[in-house]
Amino acid sequence: MKRAERTKLLIEVGREEALQMANEVCSHYEVIEIQAPREGLVMIKMRESAQQSLFYIGETLVTETKVKVGEAFGLGLVREYEPELSKALAIIDAAYNGQLPIVAKWESLLTKLSQRLDLKQQEIKCSIERTKVQFDTMSI
Amino acid sequence: MAYVAVRGGAEAIEASLEHLQYERVKRGAHISVHTLQSTMRGFLDQVMSESSLYSERLASLAMKQSEGNAEEAVFLLRAHRSTLPRMYYSTVTNAREMFVLRRISASFKDIPGGQILGASHDYLHRLLDFDLLEETVADVELKKAAFEQINKPEESNLALEQLPKVMDYLRDEGLIRKFSLNNQEPKDVTKQALTFPTNRSQRLQTLTRGQTGTITSLGYAGLRGYGASHPNVGEVRVGWQPIYVALEDDDMDPYYIGAIKLTEVESFIPVDVDDDGQQVLEFDVGYGACFGQNETKAIAMSIVDHALEVGGDSPIHDEEFVLLHVDMIESTGFISHLKMPHYVTFQAKLEQMRSIKKEGNQ
Repeated sequence: MKRAERTKLLIEVGREEALQMANEVCSHYEVIEIQAPREGLVMIKMRESAQQSLFYIGETLVTETKVKVGEAFGLGLVREYEPELSKALAIIDAAYNGQLPIVAKWESLLTKLSQRLDLKQQEIKCSIERTKVQFDTMSI
Repeated sequence: MAYVAVRGGAEAIEASLEHLQYERVKRGAHISVHTLQSTMRGFLDQVMSESSLYSERLASLAMKQSEGNAEEAVFLLRAHRSTLPRMYYSTVTNAREMFVLRRISASFKDIPGGQILGASHDYLHRLLDFDLLEETVADVELKKAAFEQINKPEESNLALEQLPKVMDYLRDEGLIRKFSLNNQEPKDVTKQALTFPTNRSQRLQTLTRGQTGTITSLGYAGLRGYGASHPNVGEVRVGWQPIYVALEDDDMDPYYIGAIKLTEVESFIPVDVDDDGQQVLEFDVGYGACFGQNETKAIAMSIVDHALEVGGDSPIHDEEFVLLHVDMIESTGFISHLKMPHYVTFQAKLEQMRSIKKEGNQ
């Protein structure tokens, strides 16, 4: 599973799982904190649809953490002030970057999170579906 | 007249600040930032958009601290933003990837994916709900549970995460000009002060962080004849926009950092175009987008965007007039400075007037 998908699952529906996964790493490996969780900004670059050019729509607050597990570095980056989750994401990232054996057993967990996200999105869709306009032709 | 330096007022200012603190607490009532964040969606969306900083938590805190004063809340957020490091830039964010919660078109009745009303104030009667005066936490829980128990379809085929754009169909018909991807790096008005003429990225960034009321008024002026266009809203979409960060430009596997609420608008404006000596009619697209669910602002922005693109004689076509006056902090800051002591300049004027009057009486 690619990092983009993995981080999406952990942030959107897997907060508790992310904390547990990070704890597992901490209990088996030495985790060195390179950068403690800190707040900062990400500037959002946007593609406008009228002329297909780029502009900056504004910044979002993020929490960033950097760790080292063995020889591998990991980055945790998440929107808003989320020190615990940010650190957990950094540890998990380092575990994947270092291809630690522990990551193999996370695949089934991530599959479950993927199903959870699908379910959550499907529930939203079913709810939003009710607000979809059904036009009827008026008889005059 | 000589200048005389004076000092004083420090104790009075301190007492004034104490009075200000007291104003917030004098009724003995408390409201948590969590409660504000959970219930003041519209205010937070406006303040995040105008401060150009997306954080519901900080916007809620600013709301509490400012006692609900939008001008002050935006000021607080802009000030706080200036203390934070900018760590990264996102990858290119495209609202085609938005998880749409609301999407309507005023131009076509039948659009692929359908007209999706989502949550909107548009269909309210705007009558005060006096029941809310007595609403309790238990009432809130009951209303929440009641909504969640409403019968919903068991399945939905709505592709909310990949809804097509309404304007694509007009582009395919050749009624809207096609543009190839323009990957020129945007300029950043927070890093470099505006100089004129501006480019498109500077205009859009300045408009999206502009004061909601000002952008709306300028858009309204454009519609009323101070602009050259009366658009049709092609599409308004509101939803959750995923944001990614890549550490290297060529990194194909970025970090997902979360989703933000965004409003995006395309307006269609009919224009005469010279096509090999023949005048043909096609549509220009005015573009508006902003943080949060701020539909009026985004629609107005699309009108002003187009007005600035095509140019003209009236004020909303004048980029210096528009871009130098839409920013909340710049405009309120300059107006507010008039409250600051101007004793010397006023005394100078007074002396001048007295002198002229005296000469006139002689």
